[in-house]
Amino acid sequence: MLGPSGSGKSSLLRAVIGLQEPLAGTVEAELDRSEIGILFQDDALLPWRTAHDNVALGLRFQGHEPRRANEEAEAWLGRLGLAGFGGRFPRHLSGGQRKRVALAQVLARKPRLLLMDEPFASLDAIVRQRIVQDLVDLVERERIAVLLVTHDLEEALSLSDVVYLLSQGPRAHITQHYPVPIPRPRNVVHARMHAAFAPLYERLWHDLSREVGGACAEAA
Amino acid sequence: MVLDPARAWMRQLLAFAILLAIWETAGRAGLLNPLYFPSPGRIGEALTELFETGRIWPHLEATFSAAIAGLVLGIVVGIVIGVVAALVPLFAELIEPVMTLLNAIPRVILAPLFVIWLGIGVASKVALAFILVAVLIFFATFAGIRQVDRRLVERVVTLGGDRWALVRHVYLPSVAAWVMSNLKVAVGFAFTGAVVGEFVAATRGLGYLLSFAQSTYNSALMFALVLLIMVIVLVIFAIAGRLEKRLFRWN
Repeated sequence: MLGPSGSGKSSLLRAVIGLQEPLAGTVEAELDRSEIGILFQDDALLPWRTAHDNVALGLRFQGHEPRRANEEAEAWLGRLGLAGFGGRFPRHLSGGQRKRVALAQVLARKPRLLLMDEPFASLDAIVRQRIVQDLVDLVERERIAVLLVTHDLEEALSLSDVVYLLSQGPRAHITQHYPVPIPRPRNVVHARMHAAFAPLYERLWHDLSREVGGACAEAA
Repeated sequence: MVLDPARAWMRQLLAFAILLAIWETAGRAGLLNPLYFPSPGRIGEALTELFETGRIWPHLEATFSAAIAGLVLGIVVGIVIGVVAALVPLFAELIEPVMTLLNAIPRVILAPLFVIWLGIGVASKVALAFILVAVLIFFATFAGIRQVDRRLVERVVTLGGDRWALVRHVYLPSVAAWVMSNLKVAVGFAFTGAVVGEFVAATRGLGYLLSFAQSTYNSALMFALVLLIMVIVLVIFAIAGRLEKRLFRWN
C-alpha cells in the first residue's frame, strides 16, 4: 500500500489486526486474529525481558508449553542471525538487532498474514538491506502473505507482487493497482535492476505526485 | 594536576581524616567549647558507651520497628491506592486532590495530631512514617501506570496477550520500576517520620534520645546519635541499591 501521508495507511493496518475500529465498513479475513502478525516502525520490546524471553512470550500467549516456546524462540533468534544474543536485554542491543528480535517475535508465531507499517524506516541503509533480504527469504519460504505499508516507492516495488495506490485523505480510497512482474525468489538489490522496475517506478511516481499535487491544489 | 576519578574516595577520606585531626587537636588545645563542639574522641566515647551499656538497643528497636512498619505499610497502601486510582477514573478524581494537598504540605506537621489520636506509643510514629511514604509511593504508582508505554501495550495485545498478561508483563514491571526508583527516598522518609514522631512525644527511640540529649545539653550524645542515624540510613541505602541493581539488570 503506497499513498501520501494522511491517506490512512496505518489506520488500515490497525483496523485489520483489531487495534482500532474502522469508522465505516468491516474487516473480513479468513483468518483467526492469532494468525495475523504486525510490525510497526517503532517496535517496542519489553525492556525488562531478554531478547529470548520477548520472543518466547509471544509463543506462550499462543498456548505453547514453556519448553517448546523456549526451543522455538532460540531457533528463531538463530534464523534471524541472533544466535548467542538471546540473553541480552533490549537496551544492550543495536537498533537493527532489536528489529530482528521483533521480527523473530512475530514470525515465530507462524502468522499467515504479516502486516508491516514502515518497519524499517528507522534503520540505516546497509542494516536495512540485510534485514529486508532475510525477511524476504523467510516470507517466500514460509509462504506468508504480507501487507506492507510504505511511502518509499523503491521499497514498494522491490518487495511487492502488487502495489496499491491510495488517494490523498480524508476518505482515501484505492485509485489504482500495479502488478509487479519481477520473479521470485527475489534479491532486493537485483530487483531494482530488473527491466520492469524503472518504467513502473516512473508510472508510480507520476501517479503518486498527481495524488499529492491534487490535494495541494485543492487546499489552495 | 590530573585527578583520577577512581581515587576520589581516597582523597575524600584523607580530607575527612585531616578535618577530624584538626578538630581533635583544636578541642584538646581548648580552642573549642566542648559544650557546643565536643571533640571526635568524646563523640566516639559517647557512641561506644551507648553500645557497651546496651542502653541503645531498646531505642534502636523502637525507631527501626516504627520506620520499617511505616515503610512497608506505606508502600503497600501507596501501590494499592495508586493502582485503583489509575484504573477507576472516579476514584482518581476524588483521591488526587487529597494526595496533592498532602504532598504540598510538610507532612511532619501532622505529628502532634497523630500523638493526640494514637497516643505516645509506637502507633503514632508508624502513622507518621506511613503518611510520608504512602503519598510518595501513590504518586510513583499513579504516574507509573499512566505513563506506561502505549507501544508495549499494543505489542502484547497484538501478540495475543489478554488483560492479565498486560498487567503481569507491562503494568506491574512499569510500576515496580517507578516504585524502586523511589525506594531510597521512601527509606529516608520512613526514618524521618519515625524520628520526628519520637521528638514530639515518646518514651523510647532515637528521636526520644535526641530530644533527651538536647534538654540535658549533652552535645556529645547528640553528635553520636546523628552519626548513628547516618550510618543506619547509609546501610539501608546500600541494601536498597543492591536490590535495585538485581531487579533492574535490564536498565
